[in-house]
Amino acid sequence: MTVVNKWSPGRLIMWLVLLVCAAVSIFPFYWMLNGTTLNPNDVLRGILHPGGSFLSNWQKATTTYNLPLFFTNSLVIALVTVLLGVVVNALAAFGFEKYRSRARDRVFGILLLTLILPQIAIVIPMFKLFSFLKLLNTRAAIILPSIMSVFIIFFLRQNFKLFPTEIMEAARVDGASELSIFVRIVAPSMRASFASAAIYMFIAQWNSYLWPLIAILNDAIKTLPIAMASIMQAYTIEYGALMVVVCVSTLPVLILFLTMQKQFVAGLLGSVK
Amino acid sequence: MAALGAHQRYLNRFGWFCIAPSALLFCVFYAYPILSSLYYVTRRWKGVSNTFIGLGNFVRMARDNVFQAALGHNFIFMVIQIPIMVFLALLLAVMLNQGIKRFRGTLRLAIFLPSVTSLVVVSVLFRTLLQENGFLNNVMLSGHLITSPIGWLNNSFWAKVTVMLAITWRWTGYNMVFFLVGLQSLDTQIFEAAEVDGASKARQFFTITIPLLVPIILFSAVTSTSGTMQLIEEPNILTFQGGPANATMTAALYIYRQSFFVNFDFGYATSMSYVVVVISGILAFIQLRLLGGERSAT
Repeated sequence: MTVVNKWSPGRLIMWLVLLVCAAVSIFPFYWMLNGTTLNPNDVLRGILHPGGSFLSNWQKATTTYNLPLFFTNSLVIALVTVLLGVVVNALAAFGFEKYRSRARDRVFGILLLTLILPQIAIVIPMFKLFSFLKLLNTRAAIILPSIMSVFIIFFLRQNFKLFPTEIMEAARVDGASELSIFVRIVAPSMRASFASAAIYMFIAQWNSYLWPLIAILNDAIKTLPIAMASIMQAYTIEYGALMVVVCVSTLPVLILFLTMQKQFVAGLLGSVK
Repeated sequence: MAALGAHQRYLNRFGWFCIAPSALLFCVFYAYPILSSLYYVTRRWKGVSNTFIGLGNFVRMARDNVFQAALGHNFIFMVIQIPIMVFLALLLAVMLNQGIKRFRGTLRLAIFLPSVTSLVVVSVLFRTLLQENGFLNNVMLSGHLITSPIGWLNNSFWAKVTVMLAITWRWTGYNMVFFLVGLQSLDTQIFEAAEVDGASKARQFFTITIPLLVPIILFSAVTSTSGTMQLIEEPNILTFQGGPANATMTAALYIYRQSFFVNFDFGYATSMSYVVVVISGILAFIQLRLLGGERSAT
């Protein structure tokens, strides 16, 4: 593709559109960082230069808004989900792809059907199920239903397709058991795909809203999104401290994205390949 | 031969062993809830007890103006916001891919950045930005774009605009990445040939780029539609419980409030969620037919 190098009105408009869109995209991030330094009244007024209330905002966030507790809850819940989820989903993807049978293909078809199911349709019977199991208001309530992810199984299955079956055959001739073929030979070469899956699952769980909102009413187990939601319901809101909470809940995902862009985007694109 | 048969059986058993944990979790946390909800559809909850009412929940829905309005809002958001966002994402992708050479990576990164925020964070940020005497109104007032502040959060028309603004901010860059990947897989010779034939950039965009990217546009449209049908964070937090006066109430938020806030009628809420499932399914089917059909025709 030839790129025109001389300046023209068309090019000028193009640069203008791109720069405006980039600025609009980034501005709320500046707003959020700057907000952590402002006193609560200035946040809403739209002051764009840093203020001097960072320490008092931070203090209110940790004491009034229990930020360390909610951060730990979010982190523990997301990490446990990722650890269990990657193992369980990778094993399933491996089984579906490398040990194909008509019966298992049919099971996979049923799994895929649930991809288009809106979450709101499933949370009501789930609430009933968890109240029957006496698991409401526990971390398990948030972790258990999100371990198995049809999307992740689908994504990893696409990646297992690329692993040559001949290598597995060779290992079989050498007398390796199927499980050791998976653990010692296949899994190590799939690290990049597992990283994409792990990032995707971490973010999905870190940001998850509707189910935790329903399953968790106890402050001690709330995650960051639910904590922010309840802060927003209150009559008086400490906006400066709120901005600290908002920053802390965005930063881990931002860092994941900036340090592992390739795997991050690969996880996103898994669905179109 | 007998040994081979035994080996095949061993492989088959290992295959089931691999999918067993997932299948178990699927049965408990997907299949069972979905199947058990079939029972709720025919019931009406009063307190802790519930009674059989047949299709009564659907009769009630036909008379429920708030639910119908909520579905209408989902539809408004879908019809107005998705085309704007998809077009903008496509335009930005084409500009980044073919228009410029310098700062390509930086601009792409900047425009993608909103995709790392959670929907709750988006709602909180936009709520602080769009107060009546807040940032955006101040900027627009001092730029003489408006003469009096806009009620972004408490005017029933502008609140809908606010929700759409927030969604567009969050998802345009996300969709743009898919288009960028699609553009990079296109054969550049087509554009060079068009250039030689004297086709303008705009003409190339509409007659070459868009038709070739139909599968990705389709993917974008289907996922955005399913996302819009599930809209709940933004109306609940950004415009506060579907306010002002239910002007931004969405189906998912109404169902949530009916089951966990207002009257705890799980039967009615489940029935409404079935309607949402059916509508989402029909919309996906129509989109696949419309755009998919056009693709096979060319």
